[in-house]
Amino acid sequence: MDPFLAWIETSELAMWVRGDSGGGEFVFPVIVTLHTIGMGFLAGGSTAIDLRILGLAPSIPLKPMGRFLPLLWLALAVNAVSGFLLLVAYPTKALTNPVFYVKVGLIALAVWLVSRIGAVVLRAPDVDQKPLDANAKLLAAASLAGWVALITAGRLLAYTHNWEMLGIPSLT
Amino acid sequence: MEMAAWEAFIRSTALHAFIRTYEPWLWPLCETLHYLGLSLLLGTVGLFDLRVLGLARGIPVAAIHRLIPWGIAGYAVNILTGIVFFFGHPDQYFYNNAFRLKVAFMALAGINVVVFYTSAFREVQDLGPGASAPVRAKIITGISLGSWVAVLICGRLLTFFRPPFFH
Repeated sequence: MDPFLAWIETSELAMWVRGDSGGGEFVFPVIVTLHTIGMGFLAGGSTAIDLRILGLAPSIPLKPMGRFLPLLWLALAVNAVSGFLLLVAYPTKALTNPVFYVKVGLIALAVWLVSRIGAVVLRAPDVDQKPLDANAKLLAAASLAGWVALITAGRLLAYTHNWEMLGIPSLT
Repeated sequence: MEMAAWEAFIRSTALHAFIRTYEPWLWPLCETLHYLGLSLLLGTVGLFDLRVLGLARGIPVAAIHRLIPWGIAGYAVNILTGIVFFFGHPDQYFYNNAFRLKVAFMALAGINVVVFYTSAFREVQDLGPGASAPVRAKIITGISLGSWVAVLICGRLLTFFRPPFFH
């Protein structure tokens, strides 16, 4: 048994998220749902910005599109907290699954791309005065591909794990 | 419990047989597409609603409305993948209060779309940069945003409200 995973798995916080403490069965479903709402706004909002940069809906001015960025960062915050809690609840399930590390890498990439697109494209002073350069389109295309890969990896976590908890193999 | 005629019919279809045969990879694939579809829907229709509600007012309403076809595409993906889910395991959904509530919110969102395009859309489609939408349009887009999020919530909670006999 891995003592570190066991320590997380048996912590008060982990039991609270799993509803093991009794009477808190709603905690896990609420956290999973918040994680999905956050995904919808973060991945979806970023996708809308990417599509605009790639040339769809060209009548949308890019500068005010940047006003949606705080919403995306709020969604990221919701997903960082909810994701951390899901990890604490089932650390073995996540940390023994290679796909989990792929997902973490894709999160880093996707978040970096949102911040680059914000800084280099949306907040460029002359963004709506001149045509977008190839770099902007490359960032948007990479972002779009990143979200598809990230959501795919996230969904596959439910199918690719071998251990639900220490000593308990998964059903699949 | 006797199986209802509609359920027996669904289970007799070729689509049901196909889904159950290829379920190990088809189900995760459709789930992933369903998540991508919901993101596309929330990201486009959601941003449009937020603009009408007053966020990012620098965007003309007609311009951000150009994103709506992408939201419709996301919705279409989710209807198609939703049909796969329902035909694969009809009892899991039909005898599930979260699913019933989800369908009710989908109906509310759908009626709201009709109400929007037959009333408030005329008042907002010419709103330029900085212009604020009338209260009626804000109420309708607020209902839109709320009902799509409610559809998502009910969908995500489906698995926690599975009928006891399902497996």
